[in-house]
This record gives sequence, C-alpha cells and structure tokens, in this order.
Amino acid sequence: MSATLFLQQIINGISLGSLYALIAIGYTMVYGILRLINFAHGDLLMVAAYAAIYEISLFSLPWFFAFPLAIIATGAVGILLDRVAYRPLRQAPRISLLISAIGASFLMENLALVLIGGVPKPFPRPHFFSRVIEVGNLHILVLTIYSPVITLLLVMGLLYIVFKTRAGKAMRAASLDFEATRLMGINLDRIIALTFLLGSSLAAAGGIMWAMKYPQINPFMGVLPGLKAFIAAVIGGIGNIVGAVLGGFLLGLCEILIVALLPNLAEYRDAFAFLILIGVLLFRPTGIMGEPLT
Amino acid sequence: MSDKFKSRLNVASLFLLFGLLFLFNRYGSGYQIRILNNIGVFITLAVSYNLINGVCGLLHLGPNGFIAIGAYTSALLSMTPAEKQLNFILGQVIWPLSVIHVPFVVSLIAAGIAAAFFAFLISFPVLRVRGDYLAIVTLGFGEVVRVLCNAGERVTNGPLGLKGLYPHTNLWWSWGVATLAVVVIQRLIDSNYGLAMKAIREDEDAARAMGVNPFRSLMLAFLISAFFSGIAGGLLAHLITTISPALFTFFLTFNLLIMIVVGGLGSTTGAIIGAVLFSWGGEALRIVEQPMEIGSFTIPGIPGMRMVIFSLVLMLVILFARKGIMGRNELSWDYLESKFARFRGAKTPQ
Amino acid sequence: MNPFFQMRHVTRRFGGLEAVGDFSITLERGELVGLIGPNGAGKTTTFNMMTGMLRPTAGDIIWKGENITRLPPHLITAKGIARTFQNIKLFSDMSVVENIMVSCHYSIDSSFLAAMLGLPKHKREEKRIREHSLKCLEEAGLAHLASERAQNLPYGLQRKLEIVRAIATRPGMLLLDEPVAGMNPTEKIELSAFIRRIREKSGITILLIEHDMKFVMNICQRIRVMNYGRSIAEGTPDEISSNPEVISAYLGDTPHAQD
Repeated sequence: MSATLFLQQIINGISLGSLYALIAIGYTMVYGILRLINFAHGDLLMVAAYAAIYEISLFSLPWFFAFPLAIIATGAVGILLDRVAYRPLRQAPRISLLISAIGASFLMENLALVLIGGVPKPFPRPHFFSRVIEVGNLHILVLTIYSPVITLLLVMGLLYIVFKTRAGKAMRAASLDFEATRLMGINLDRIIALTFLLGSSLAAAGGIMWAMKYPQINPFMGVLPGLKAFIAAVIGGIGNIVGAVLGGFLLGLCEILIVALLPNLAEYRDAFAFLILIGVLLFRPTGIMGEPLT
Repeated sequence: MSDKFKSRLNVASLFLLFGLLFLFNRYGSGYQIRILNNIGVFITLAVSYNLINGVCGLLHLGPNGFIAIGAYTSALLSMTPAEKQLNFILGQVIWPLSVIHVPFVVSLIAAGIAAAFFAFLISFPVLRVRGDYLAIVTLGFGEVVRVLCNAGERVTNGPLGLKGLYPHTNLWWSWGVATLAVVVIQRLIDSNYGLAMKAIREDEDAARAMGVNPFRSLMLAFLISAFFSGIAGGLLAHLITTISPALFTFFLTFNLLIMIVVGGLGSTTGAIIGAVLFSWGGEALRIVEQPMEIGSFTIPGIPGMRMVIFSLVLMLVILFARKGIMGRNELSWDYLESKFARFRGAKTPQ
Repeated sequence: MNPFFQMRHVTRRFGGLEAVGDFSITLERGELVGLIGPNGAGKTTTFNMMTGMLRPTAGDIIWKGENITRLPPHLITAKGIARTFQNIKLFSDMSVVENIMVSCHYSIDSSFLAAMLGLPKHKREEKRIREHSLKCLEEAGLAHLASERAQNLPYGLQRKLEIVRAIATRPGMLLLDEPVAGMNPTEKIELSAFIRRIREKSGITILLIEHDMKFVMNICQRIRVMNYGRSIAEGTPDEISSNPEVISAYLGDTPHAQD
C-alpha cells in the first residue's frame, strides 16, 4: 500500500478515534462515580442527531445554532435518564441498575422508531464541514481534520472543569469514595446530574460529528458506536478520563488500520473491537491508565 | 405432604400437561400450535438463562451466541446434502458438512454439545471477572458469534442464512425438552451444587472460605445452561425453518432478560411464567403493530410499539417491583397445600 | 517436631504501604491464641493471607508440613483452615441450615450428573448432609431456627451461626475475626462458653482477633500483639497486660472491657 494511502488511513483512524473518545468519556465518567455501565449512553448520539435535524428542518435554525442547541438538549436528556432510570436504584443491587440501563436503551431506540420511523434520514452536512482539502495525493474532508481538533478542545475544557473547579473536585471525590463524599455534605445527586450533563453533551458532540461523517441516521445508529466507545473506555482504564480519550483514539486507529492492512477481514471489522476487549480483559483488565491488578 | 404423594402429583400433572398438548395437537389451529411451540422453546431458554443470571447471580448477556451455535449446528447436521446445495449458492459448504446428514435427535444433541463446548472455551476468560466486566465480555461473545455467522459463508451461508429446514419441531419435542430441562435444572438447583451456586451469588468470598470453588461451580452452571440453550436453538431452527444471523442479536438476549426479570430473577417458576407471558404476549401484541379495524375506522399499525411496551414493562418492573412476580420463590406442592389449608381454615372458625 | 501451623517472615505490601512486615507465628495443635493490636495493625490482613484471600509479598505459610502460601481459599479450607469474618458474611437470603450445608460442598461425593438425574446415591448423600448440618445446629442451640432466613436472626446469633458454619467444614484450625464485636456482655459470656465447648469436644486449634481485652485475657492461653504490621510482644495474658510496649501501643488504653 502506498505511503499516501497509509497516511490517509492514519488520518481516518485518528478522526474516527476522536469520535469514539468523545463518547467514551461519558461512559467512563458515569462508571467512575456510579460503577454503572450506562448502556443507554450510545443512544444519546441518536438523540443529538435527530434533535439537530428537527431544529434545522422544523425551525429553520442555522447549523451553528442548531448544533449547540442539540448538544444542550441531549445533555438534558442525559440528566433525565439518570433521574428516571438510575436515581431510584441508588441502593439497589448492581444487576438491577444494569438491567434498567438496558431497558432504558431499548426504550429510547424503539420510542424513536415508533415516533420517527425506521427509514434512515439524511443528515445535512454544512458547507463549513464539507470542503475537501488536497495535499499532494491526499484528499481529505475538512470534517476529518476538525473532529480531532474539536475533540481535543472539548476534552481540555472538560479536564479544566474536572481538575480546576470545585464541582470537578466533588466529582473526583465521588468517584473515589461515594459514601464519604456524601458524608462531607456534598449533594451527590447534583454532582451526578452534572456528570451526566457533561458526559452526555460530549457524546452529543460526537453524535453530531458522526452524523455528518455517516450522513444516514436511524434510531439504532448509536448502538454499535456506543458499544465500541465503551470498549475504548475499558481499554483506556474505565473510570479514567484520559484513559477514555487514549482508548478512543487507539481503537479508532486499530479499526481503520486492521481493515486497511487486511482487507479480506473487512467483514470482521466489528468483531475486532470485541476481540480487543476480550484480550484487554484477559491480560490487563484495568486498562492502560489503570493500576495493574496485584 | 409426603414425598411419595408429591411424586404422584408430579406424574399426574405431567399426564395432564401432555394430555392437553395431545388435544391441541389434534384439534388446535396452526396458529395455536405455533404459539405453544414457541412457548415450549422459550421455557427451555428462560429456565437455562435463569440458572446463570438468577441462581448464580451473574449478568450473562450472551445467550444469543449459544442459541445461534445450537441452531446452526442442528440445521447444518439435519439438512440433507441436496438441501445444503440448494442453500449455499455463493460457494459450496465445506466438507464434511457437505455430506453429513443425521437424524433430528442426533442434531439436537450435537447442538447442545457444540454450545456447551464453546461455553467451556469462553468460561476461562469470562469467569475471571465479575459484574459489569462479565456482562460486557459475554455481550461481546454473543456479538462475535453473530459476526462470525455472518462472515463464515462457507459454513453458515453468511447473511443469507439457511432456508427450507424441515419442520421437525412439534409439541412433543418443544414441550418434552422443556419438561426435561425444568426437571433436570431444578434438581441441580435443589442439590448441594445449587446451594454452592447460590452461596456464590450471596457472597463469593464467604463461599470460597467455606470450600466452594467458584470457577468449578460457575463453569458447571455455564455449561449446563449453554447445553440446553443450544438444544433449544436447534428446536427453534426447525420451528421457524429459516435461520439467519439477524435472528440472534442482542435483541434475543433482551427478550430472555425480560422474561426472567419479570418472572422473578432466581425462580424457575418465574422463568416459566415469564416465558409464557412474553412469548404469548409477544404474539398477542403483534396486533398493535398491524393496522386494526374498529367499525369503519382503521387504526394504523405502529411497528416497534411492541418493543416500546416490553421495554416499559421491564423498566417498571425493575424500578418498582424489582423482585418480579415470583421473587426467588418457587411454586411448590407444599406452598399450594398451605394456601389450601389456610383457605379451609378460614372457613371453619376456631 | 513439625509445628502444626507456621507463618515464616510473612510480609504484605500494598504499593508503598507495608501492611504486614516480617510476621512469624507458630501454633501447636489444640492451642487457643489471641491476636490483638490497635486498628490497622494488620491483623485481618494476616488472616486474609492465612486463608489465601491475599498472597504474601514475601514469606511462607506452612500447614501440617505443607506449604500453602500460594493456594486459593477454597483449597485451604479443604485442607483444614476455616474462618469467620470481621463483618458478618452470611448467605443472607438462604436459610440457617442451608448456610451450614454449603460447608459440606467441598467434600461431596456424588457428581452433578447424579444430582440432575435424581439418583438414589445422590439423595442419600443429600440426606446425610442435611442431618450433619442439623446436628451442628443442635450442638450450638440453633436447631429451632433451621428454616429461618439467615438475615432474620438477631445479631448475636448471626455471629454464632458464622462460627458454626466455619466449624461445619471440619477444620483443624479455626480463625475467628472479632467474634464478639458488637455483642452485649451476656452474649459475650455465652459465646465464650461456646468456644470453650468447641475446644473440649474437638481439640481444634483456634486463633482469634479481638478488641475486647477482658474477653481475650479470659479465654486465650497465649497472646500475640501486633502494631503497624509487626509483632511487638507475645506472652500469657498476665505478661501482655503488664507489657509497657503493648500499653503504649494502645495509647493509654487500659485493658478493660470495651463495649
């Protein structure tokens, strides 16, 4: 394979990885505090994408209003999800939470199916993102370059919140010792709501960029990316934000490169992520950023 | 109530059950028989699934993988070479599958063994972890199986699937296997082996300290559950006569999960009730997805409404009635006797 | 002569923290030894290493001449070391007698196949297990509660049940982690007598962790004191209660009954 093609694939991998990273952060933050795998997290992609579409088509909002609005709306949906499906089960056994998460996920997907219909809708890709840059033999969609940049900016913003604000400190404390944080007089429900808000907003950003990248959206569009983003979070060390970002980029790169280098195995593309997951869980379950198990 | 009397009651109930099945077989409509077959197969599936999730307390999200393995094994073995030739239009199926052809019962047993074999293989990575990790690894397994079925065209005919399977599955098969599964699995649960599994569920460290080897106990449950799931997969294949990878997605797992959670996680009776409710209910609710005519009005069908209702039911149960219908209790003759005695007692004032 | 149980220079580190350092102890058959020390001294960590729940960073553990340092907990139990826990870890949703029957699992003869097929051999063994378990309960005065859910028992009886459950594994050595924690004085006296009865009947070796000094001085033949993961003293109850290092380790706590 030529060097140009290889470089193209690297760029594609980083771009895809940046989207996985954005989604993975939400999983890892919720898991860090609640020890819950939020199965419904991936479906937030779908919520954001549809929200954006309806804002543009129903209210004729220009994309630079519609997209941030969709992100905020999805953040609110994330808070609602916690309030309805997870908060009542704070004291329940973990298996109940997981089941609730699965139920919430299916509910969101099928509700969308019922209300919107299963026919894939085309997602508008604003001109801003549609230009194609030519560098030598490479043809790159600017979206492919913007994605990692936007991701990094958002991640830096998040890290600022987590490490430099009081709310962020409370979040970190809650992920270390849930009970003790409550005993310190911190309103855990609010902190958790903030966690969901931040994680869901990031996922929404990822969802909108995903929808621009693969512009046919349907109610089940979030399932596979969500699952892969979760795997990315595990690879990076579940509960660790930097790990989630690293894991996301790593997974994106691996997925693109494996398919590029071994085109015969392209059909097994989705299985790779799971095989990587099983490998990680076997040999280093705590992930890249986690402490090795003694 | 003496044990002997209970055995007699059990045998009598079995006679009653199979008597009813005989009547349905003879006089029932095709639709009714299809639903009954469905219920029978799902009873086997639900009861085996409950062994892992309910009794052992593990969140296993990959039963769809074992069911798929069973379905494909059974189908590939029971189809005649000619039938296989018809199906595999993209490329001939590999040897020895191209020539092999066995009776239905053999294909079922092979299905169970194949599923159990894969359960054995993955129990090593899966049982090293617990909780959410176990959930995700098993989920991954189910997905990997589905992807492999899709991609392994020379073996499974890929996305086209296998069509024209002979409808071997009848009421005797589906309910016979269900009865066997319930009896055998319940005996295991009631035995000391079952106690070890429950102890692991309650407190794994304490169980270890009392001499229980969690890996052995859980692997046993895993293998037995997979075995029966595989057989049920074979039954399913020969019931709907067409299988494809799209049939064995996480969706199938979700259905089983609803059945055992609503029925009562940890209760075999609950699993049976859940299977009956949701197989039957699933069929019955299909009308919501078809257009309905009331008088001169036509209410348009809403596809996906069934799943919305199911998801809502699951959410409501898990939020407000987490123990489900039966909790961890079983329906037993002793329980009925005590209810009956109370009823009688209430009528005669002391 | 080969000592019955021996820990040799056992150390356990968690990252940079040394929870247990160069700890050695020998127990002879039939002894009743106490292990005391302030909170965080490393006592439960030592128990966890003895029972295989934690692996020592260094050192050996020898039981009846066999090196058990790297064995998993269920094998160590099968070889004859049983324990109770600091926080009650009963099988809450199971009945009292079922809690005891679990302890018989490792020595079960009939296979799972025999169980699933309902073979007579299996039924006989199940009957034997149940009878043995009920007998254990009888000897502890708990037989009348056999069908009760374990979590419904009053606290003192739950602690007692944990001990009975451990004994049902037929151990050569019993490790009791704070057996009378949270009990009122009457319950403590009763448990004290119960432990004495166990020893008289079976000659079992007992090592116990406790904070209640009166209880410990009363019942133990010999006491080992730990602080900051290391041994600081060993001796008879009298020797220990007058040992200045021990007293200072407890920071002025005089050895009197703590409730």
